[in-house]
Amino acid sequence: MPITPMEVYKLLPKTNCRKCGETTCMSFAFKLINREKTLEECTPLFEDTKYSSQLKDLQNLLEPLKEATETGLIVDEDLCSGCANCVVVCPVHASDDPYGMGSGLGPTIDDPILRIEDGVVRVVNMKKCRRYGKNRILCVACRENCPSDAIRFLEG
Amino acid sequence: MVFCTGCSCLCPDIRIENGRVYNACRKGSSIFNEKKRAKPTVNGKETDIETAIERAAEILSSGNVAIYGLDTIPIEAQKLAIGLAEELEAYIDDNSSFCLGDFVEMILRGEIPSTTLDDVKNNAYVIFYWGTDPYNSLSRHLSLYTYYPRGGKRQRGYEEDRFLVVADIRKSHTAKLAKKNARFIRVDDDLKLVESFIQAMEGKAPQYPDVARVLSEMKKGYSVIFGGLGLKYGLNGRYEEFTEMFRRLNEITEVYFIPSGFHSNMRGFNELLFEKTGYINRYSFKEGVSKAEFEFSRLLIEEKIDSALIIGSDPVNSLPFEVSRKLGEINTVVVDPLNSLTSMIADVVIPSALTPIGQGGTMMRSDGVRVKVEPLREEEWTDVKVLTSLKEMV
Ligand code: SF4
Ligand code: SF4
Ligand code: SF4
Ligand code: SF4
Repeated sequence: MPITPMEVYKLLPKTNCRKCGETTCMSFAFKLINREKTLEECTPLFEDTKYSSQLKDLQNLLEPLKEATETGLIVDEDLCSGCANCVVVCPVHASDDPYGMGSGLGPTIDDPILRIEDGVVRVVNMKKCRRYGKNRILCVACRENCPSDAIRFLEG
Repeated sequence: MVFCTGCSCLCPDIRIENGRVYNACRKGSSIFNEKKRAKPTVNGKETDIETAIERAAEILSSGNVAIYGLDTIPIEAQKLAIGLAEELEAYIDDNSSFCLGDFVEMILRGEIPSTTLDDVKNNAYVIFYWGTDPYNSLSRHLSLYTYYPRGGKRQRGYEEDRFLVVADIRKSHTAKLAKKNARFIRVDDDLKLVESFIQAMEGKAPQYPDVARVLSEMKKGYSVIFGGLGLKYGLNGRYEEFTEMFRRLNEITEVYFIPSGFHSNMRGFNELLFEKTGYINRYSFKEGVSKAEFEFSRLLIEEKIDSALIIGSDPVNSLPFEVSRKLGEINTVVVDPLNSLTSMIADVVIPSALTPIGQGGTMMRSDGVRVKVEPLREEEWTDVKVLTSLKEMV
């Protein structure tokens, strides 16, 4: 299940105190999910004991962020058959490695985003993913072509 | 780089480094795990391989013999097995009689037009899976050969350059991929789907309405239908209308057929036997003819054989219990790199090398293209050597 900013927002102090460096708690919630901010930056949550149960809920809610890569891509190896659809459809792979992955074969470059190891998909170099960094776009090609829903994105 | 022999895709790009297998799918990477290597045994007792071969030769030298399996070993070994069957006047059969042998035979007889997977990658627009779920049986089929790769005239990727059709009785994993520029047809009657194409070509409303759209896409050029077990069972031997559909489709456009879903070298065996005898399976060298009653499971049930040589196959695992029970009653010799349920009931077990780990050879892909498999290392007791020794001794 993707985590929505609203769910996160509801558990924040909602005071818009700006201690985290954001102007509103809502924008802090967005950045938390995108992993541009960490929960610790909202100091009131930790300092004021009246937020302690909210804090616990938030920590539970955000637990999946830890297993997600920086782009929010989560792979469930148990569901993966190693079909490599995701590897071959990735537009970055197709342009960087047209005669390898772009043509359906294994990578001929050293730093693919995804590759198949021991029969299942592994995330190797998330930095190249289009969902990463400042100019990111919401690419969903790999997830859309996974028949077994082994790939998820945190933000949906 | 080695070939994977996990299925009839024979993927050419497997890398093995520091004990890790790269690029093979889950099923493929499991064949590189050698934990279940068989040991030579006679009557359940471990022995040396020479003794096992000697005892096997004794067993096979008298009575009625069937040679069975063969779909995972290289063509060079299949040839020797066919030669051995000829010498023993034995029966010979593989899995294809209850798998996709019928389709291979239609192609070999020129009854339906076929093509190669390389040609599909470079040219095909409509990719049509009928009664098969390649995601589960041939995991890399779509990504390496058909729908997803860019190649030749199809450089713009699947969304623009391909049209996917999946026809199946249920929404399979593969069917889930039929989204944009695609069609999923839920079929309850495969013959009705065949008729629908003929109706659409005659300008009538097809029983399966989606066929009208599929046909109009097919008219845009090169199309290929991949048929699996679902299609085979659905047609249930009624192939006339099916071949007629291909004939008529090819009057107005270009449509090919490739069977999809079987063991790594089943087609190799079918083609070899066809070249030699004019039949693809369930053949008796004594009678010089192929008959349904020479199917391995029927030979067992009807108690026509005294001994069986089983190579690279695990019938106890795949055949119904009543059939495999019969196998326990006759003399059985198993040649296999790995332990299997069949080797547990065998009188003699002869371990052979595993392709492509300890032996190489020629294998035939589902589209009939031969590939030369290089081994990772050379082992002494290859299938070829085991069969050559057996042949010398019987
Ligand atoms: S520090 Fe916490 S309470 Fe203050 S604005 Fe940021 S999120 Fe809201
Ligand atoms: S999100 Fe897009 S760019 Fe990133 S790995 Fe998936 S397909 Fe490639
Ligand atoms: S598409 Fe899905 S099942 Fe196929 S390799 Fe990628 S994650 Fe695994
Ligand atoms: S698709 Fe078949 S040949 Fe290719 S890696 Fe998987 S099992 Fe091996």
